[in-house]
Amino acid sequence: MKILVTVKRVPDPEQKIKLKDDRIDLSAANWQLNQFDEYAVEAALRLTEDARNPATRLGEVTVVSLGPAEVQQQLRAALAMGADKAVRVDSRDEDLDADIVARTVEKLVRRDSPDLVLMGKLAADNEGNEVGQRLAGYLGWPQATFASIIEVVEGGKALLVGREVDAGVEMKKVRLPAVVTVDLRIVAPQAIKNGRTPPDHAYPEGPRYASLKGIMAAKKKPIEELTLAQLAIQPTLRVRTVSVRLPPPRKAGIKVSSVQELVDKLHNEAKVI
Amino acid sequence: MPVQMTTSLYALPPALEAQLLTQLPAGTLSFDPADLVLWGRDWTRVHPPAPAAVAWPRSAEEVSLLLRLCHEHRVPVVPSGGRTGLAGGAVAARGELVLSLSRMNQLGPIDTVAETVRVEAGAVTQAVHEHAARVGLSWPIDLASRGSCQIGGNIATNAGGVRVLRYGPTRHWVLGLEVVTAQGTLLQLGGALHKDNTGLDLRQLFIGSEGTLGVITAATLKLCKAPESMDVLLLQVADLPAVLRLLGAARQGPFSLLAFEYMARACIERVCQHRGLRHPLGGDRGGCYVLLEVERPAGGTQQVLAGWLEQVLSQGLVQDGVLATSQRQAQELWALREGISETLGTTGLPHKNDVALPLSALPAFVDALEALFAQRYPGWEVFTFGHVGDGNLHINVMKPPDMDPATFYQHTQQVDHDLFRLVARHGGSISAEHGIGLLKKAYLSYARSPAEIALMRAVKQALDPHGILNPGKIFD
Repeated sequence: MKILVTVKRVPDPEQKIKLKDDRIDLSAANWQLNQFDEYAVEAALRLTEDARNPATRLGEVTVVSLGPAEVQQQLRAALAMGADKAVRVDSRDEDLDADIVARTVEKLVRRDSPDLVLMGKLAADNEGNEVGQRLAGYLGWPQATFASIIEVVEGGKALLVGREVDAGVEMKKVRLPAVVTVDLRIVAPQAIKNGRTPPDHAYPEGPRYASLKGIMAAKKKPIEELTLAQLAIQPTLRVRTVSVRLPPPRKAGIKVSSVQELVDKLHNEAKVI
Repeated sequence: MPVQMTTSLYALPPALEAQLLTQLPAGTLSFDPADLVLWGRDWTRVHPPAPAAVAWPRSAEEVSLLLRLCHEHRVPVVPSGGRTGLAGGAVAARGELVLSLSRMNQLGPIDTVAETVRVEAGAVTQAVHEHAARVGLSWPIDLASRGSCQIGGNIATNAGGVRVLRYGPTRHWVLGLEVVTAQGTLLQLGGALHKDNTGLDLRQLFIGSEGTLGVITAATLKLCKAPESMDVLLLQVADLPAVLRLLGAARQGPFSLLAFEYMARACIERVCQHRGLRHPLGGDRGGCYVLLEVERPAGGTQQVLAGWLEQVLSQGLVQDGVLATSQRQAQELWALREGISETLGTTGLPHKNDVALPLSALPAFVDALEALFAQRYPGWEVFTFGHVGDGNLHINVMKPPDMDPATFYQHTQQVDHDLFRLVARHGGSISAEHGIGLLKKAYLSYARSPAEIALMRAVKQALDPHGILNPGKIFD
């Protein structure tokens, strides 16, 4: 199976946001791989290996990112985990919106013809949750979002995808090629069944570490560099950020001395009960 | 011995109690048995806590008043920080008054030009880290107990921790101290000066004095720029000699070393089991482990590590390993190292030793140690780990399940004499960073000469003539 995985670098979500001139100041940002994209890479690797002998690849995983040269670091990290090759499309974050990203990935998909596009369900920076759906639309491919289970069925021609919904798990069958976006439980020990790894095999929870052999192998793996122009993408923003403001600081709380006083204040001042 | 709730075995002299209650604000003192147990002990469990009272003053003036009154009444005082010590230095087991600095936790503004900050002694170390990080600076003393321990305690014990290799101990990062003496005199020792050659540097006396010479109430800390791009690796290594060869190779690596931590495989196994964590290498495959933290040169990517790793792998110094590719993974790897003490303390009763050896003597020392332990602790569980980059080994001997604690402590104390003779023979220290406190004082003579100890006693006598400050700690 040939899988294309999109990855994005995001500022460390734990870091406090600073504003400068109505914009988020990212000059001191600590960049890392978007967590859901890291899960997508792990899912792609589990789909393309036999866990009893992971050194032998059963498919090919290409990781793709749009961003400046520094994104190489996140791509190398994915290669060190075990992805086979990488593509970087040169761009600056402020020149992109979800639509440009989706159209760029569409071009790559049409060029490389993967069987499956795996993506994180959203990126932790703007929590857009748009690119997967737009991409499936542009390609005219079936889509399954928020996947927590993926099972290869019908001899590799379709996927059974489990999605967590309020009432339980919804199972959907999508014919390949398809676009699947993953949720956090896709890295549970037995979330993925690829037909080659024994079904009772349990992976350690979470995405794998980069092993030393993986890091050294990553040095030799190719990263293809492209520009938006080479892919004939018109970088016209449909969504523009006008300004960014922090939410107003919360008012300080008060201490009450009795339950009676609490009830009184909730009723007469806050008027919530 | 297990800790039991103490009913007030001890009480303050009534006259002192009355003076304290009238002269200090309400809520400063507690005699509640639950408070006495909680505040009378540190992370050690050897001596049951039994203080007479706990006080939480809010200012250096209140500390001064407390000490003046206690001095007049000859009532012993145990200065108290986050109580995370491992040598019993903050234990109050004989009717002392515990003087907690916890309410004095103000953080002053950061001077970004001089790179200094003034903080009160009760400030939690992690709060100081976060305070400095907001302006891109760091107070580089970092310990597994950072969320509980306090600056005053760090200074009073000259704390070490995981970054000593790069930054040195606490002593290197303190510019000024505010100290209250046993008689209640308030001293300002040094300020924010990086240079001050005016007679004896009294401040250094109080750093590492374990609360026996004065009570630290505030400090001016020296800060530095926080490291920018750090990488954390967990490496599987055949044995300790290979660990030391790896250290040599790491010193030559294309990065600067921040931490070089050694862990016997049993440590990782126990932590994974206790905390339900996954083994980063997928499972134990023998040997021992090194947690390596490095700072890459500015602008370098993780690829600069690849060449070095290739070299150490091909030389056979490293058998396998992983590199954290995200902050999350780095924290997961650190959790394996930092979880060891808590895990051992929760899953059994450890007897702790904290020794330092010259690096060149370490392999021979460990061979002799293994022979000694095989003979004196046959079949017992022993966990070794530590800041090997500093020559510092933590040795934890676990109480066998069927042995009662008293017998266990008696036996370990006998073995400690043999152990410390071994340490002395290899030119080491019997307490690398935990201090002497209550637990190691019987062994001080293995580390210090009679002349040195006599000098220490003379200093103690000069500063605390009636011996009210942390009596029974370091020496009797």
